[in-house]
Amino acid sequence: MHITINHHQHPVPTLWQEETLLAFLRDHLGLTGSRFGCGAGMCGACTVVLNGQAQRSCLLPVAQAAGQEVQTIEGLADASGALHPVQQAWLDEGVPQCGFCQAGQIMSTVALLREHPKPTPAQIDAGLSGNLCRCGTQQRIRAAVRRAAGAAS
Amino acid sequence: MKRRLFLGAGASLTVAFGVGCALPVLPKRPTPSTSDAIAWIRCQDGKYRLFLPRAEIGQNIATALKQIACEELGIGWNDLEMRLPATTDIGPVRATVGSESIKDFALPLAQACATLREELAAGRYTGDLVARDIPASELRAFGVRAAHARQWVGKAPPIEQANAIVRGERLYAGDVRLPGMVFGRVLRALASPELASCPVAWDEPAARKVNGFIGIVQDPLFEQGRSMGIGILAATPGALDRIASALAVRWDIEGSFDQDTVDNAIDIDRRLADGALAHNIHKDALEPVALWDVDLRIDLPAAAHLSIEPRAAVAQFTQADELQVWVGSQDAFFVRDVLSKKLGLNKPDVSVQAMRVGGAFGGKTICTVELEAAVLARTAGKPVKVQWTRAQELQFGFHRPPSSHRIRVSLQDGQIDQWSHSFASGHIIFTNAGFPPWLQNLADFVDDMGVARGADAPYSARCRSVQFDQVRLPILTGPWRGLGAGPNHLAIESAIDECARVLHEDPVQFRLRHLNDQRLVHVLQQAATAGDWGEPKQRTKPDVRHGRGIACGIYKASSYAAVVAEVQVDAKGRARVNKLTCIHDCGQVINPDQVKAQCEGNLVWGMGMVLTDHLPIGVAQIGATNFDRAQIPRMVDVPHMHIHLIDNVLPPTGAGETAIVAAAGAITNAIRDATGVRTVRFPVAAADLAEV
Repeated sequence: MHITINHHQHPVPTLWQEETLLAFLRDHLGLTGSRFGCGAGMCGACTVVLNGQAQRSCLLPVAQAAGQEVQTIEGLADASGALHPVQQAWLDEGVPQCGFCQAGQIMSTVALLREHPKPTPAQIDAGLSGNLCRCGTQQRIRAAVRRAAGAAS
Repeated sequence: MKRRLFLGAGASLTVAFGVGCALPVLPKRPTPSTSDAIAWIRCQDGKYRLFLPRAEIGQNIATALKQIACEELGIGWNDLEMRLPATTDIGPVRATVGSESIKDFALPLAQACATLREELAAGRYTGDLVARDIPASELRAFGVRAAHARQWVGKAPPIEQANAIVRGERLYAGDVRLPGMVFGRVLRALASPELASCPVAWDEPAARKVNGFIGIVQDPLFEQGRSMGIGILAATPGALDRIASALAVRWDIEGSFDQDTVDNAIDIDRRLADGALAHNIHKDALEPVALWDVDLRIDLPAAAHLSIEPRAAVAQFTQADELQVWVGSQDAFFVRDVLSKKLGLNKPDVSVQAMRVGGAFGGKTICTVELEAAVLARTAGKPVKVQWTRAQELQFGFHRPPSSHRIRVSLQDGQIDQWSHSFASGHIIFTNAGFPPWLQNLADFVDDMGVARGADAPYSARCRSVQFDQVRLPILTGPWRGLGAGPNHLAIESAIDECARVLHEDPVQFRLRHLNDQRLVHVLQQAATAGDWGEPKQRTKPDVRHGRGIACGIYKASSYAAVVAEVQVDAKGRARVNKLTCIHDCGQVINPDQVKAQCEGNLVWGMGMVLTDHLPIGVAQIGATNFDRAQIPRMVDVPHMHIHLIDNVLPPTGAGETAIVAAAGAITNAIRDATGVRTVRFPVAAADLAEV
């Protein structure tokens, strides 16, 4: 069993084949940027992009992602380390408070902008309503999504 | 017995250790001094290092204290490396609670940095620094000084660790990975830790068949509250779920309760019928009144913190008697003290490394997951990570207590004549998550100042009676953002709004006539102006009702906020907040962008108090295991927020819990304005606001 993560192919050892994609990423590969918040697909902290779509990795068995293309927060910056426009927009708008949900917010935004390069306010709210934030950064997230959409044009 | 048995010079409670309790429940650590601060800042080979004396819980205190340090040292942002310390790096500091980090830590840090700067300027590069109590007026960071004369203070430099956050780098306790690390969990009965529970039978052979099974651990230290757990170890995190399921532990649970038990316990009218309450903030004798002008019964349910990070810890023994633990705690030193005492280790041999905390809000102040990880690591002989599930967070963490309020007001010649506020709440500072019943009974001779917080209303009245009961509930209750201040202000600001309505007076004018504190008057007036108070309300659709409300308050006698809310309520009674305008005064502002961020957080929390926060109570346990039954505001719910900071030269105070005192009141008053309905049970139910 193999899985492609951020353009690198990784074998899935037998011991890990019953795990979720999130556990495989975090605890086998050490890609800890995708975070465990609820384990039930309700908070979005574990969001990755699977074949171009936002996907909750805490519910998805790693076996179901086998052979597919997964992008995680660690794979957003380019090879030189330059930030993706969405990451940069997050810094420019000073979004993070505790920061725990933000990798998931950023990955949902990457998927949202792929589908709607110029999202309306309603599309932003709908696209990110499954990503919870308890600190209250929602207003800044909206601003960062708008900024990233502008930068991407 | 003397009533003030435990209350020392300060307001904190120290515990006389008796049989069965050998831990400081509320560790007494004094306000930091300049000599403490000397250990936080170091210079070696021209590079500066700041060991952050506070937990970084998302208030971005690392950024603010780095601003203070860079300003005082006169150095560039990249010349100073910020580090989250281990308990072996600096002397003990207080828990990161109560919005104290700027108020109490900025000055000693600045004094230490100024001392270091002077020593280096004098050519002394080695040896121990002797701290000087330099007055604030002589420091670069504080007081009257033109903004352009400062390089960092009053500015918004890059948020510390934000780059690592957007890159998904390792920052939180659960991100820590060690060679040979395995995964652990302590299983407990699905019952409140207030009820005695223990495992009585389990299917070990079935568990052994699970791929990744390592072991089952029984240890008396797995008792938390009255809940005795049983530990499991596995090679992968998912195997923990499968082992738990295969084990099929049968539990013995003593006693039970349900929602009614809790509601009855704090029912304020039932308590008042039994006579006066046990604790008093104001004790004027009230005269009989035929009919109170305002008479409100207000109830708030239990509410969870719901930080997006469930607590986690990684522990390893580096020697038989040397323990290292990585934590996401508001109080790393308390964790160290508990671990050292319970495991019989010397304090210097327990190193607790602070990690960035993924949201805390008062909920990560005790030692739970850290002890579980340490005990499992001791048994396993390997590093162990314990990551609480969301269900464990809800079932075994503590919560905002429910509270029940009765406010009665009589008016005379347009003034508040008699003000009576009686309320009952679960414990907050004397949390039952840390105080066994016998100790709490002793503690109850003094006021739980968490329950009392914010109940001393700033409005003048001829006579006041403000009294409360602190009640041990069968669910775990404790500190939650703002402690009692959020619920108490919501009740007070609702009653004040009703007073103005009884008099057919503008609620701003009514408040202004009853306020003496000029800083509060100022934020209230500014909020009215910025929030279009008195302007015509917008009308979008004929069946949508619009309203505007205002509220204000003082947090911990030092920080001020006023909020104007605009809401709409549709025919079915569904309320949404369209706009929140907040004026905030916390003295000198170190980082305006991050003070605004704290205001935004408090506004969203205030909105949650009115619209969403509700932790249901089931039979013998919390009736929620995830975000489906314990909800928080979502992106789509969050309105436009406009925040204006009053910047002045007064000593800086706190911002982390201030605006919550006004946000909920403004929203509920706006709903009243839109619908004519005074909401008295929270969160609001659409059925109560629907057009009949």
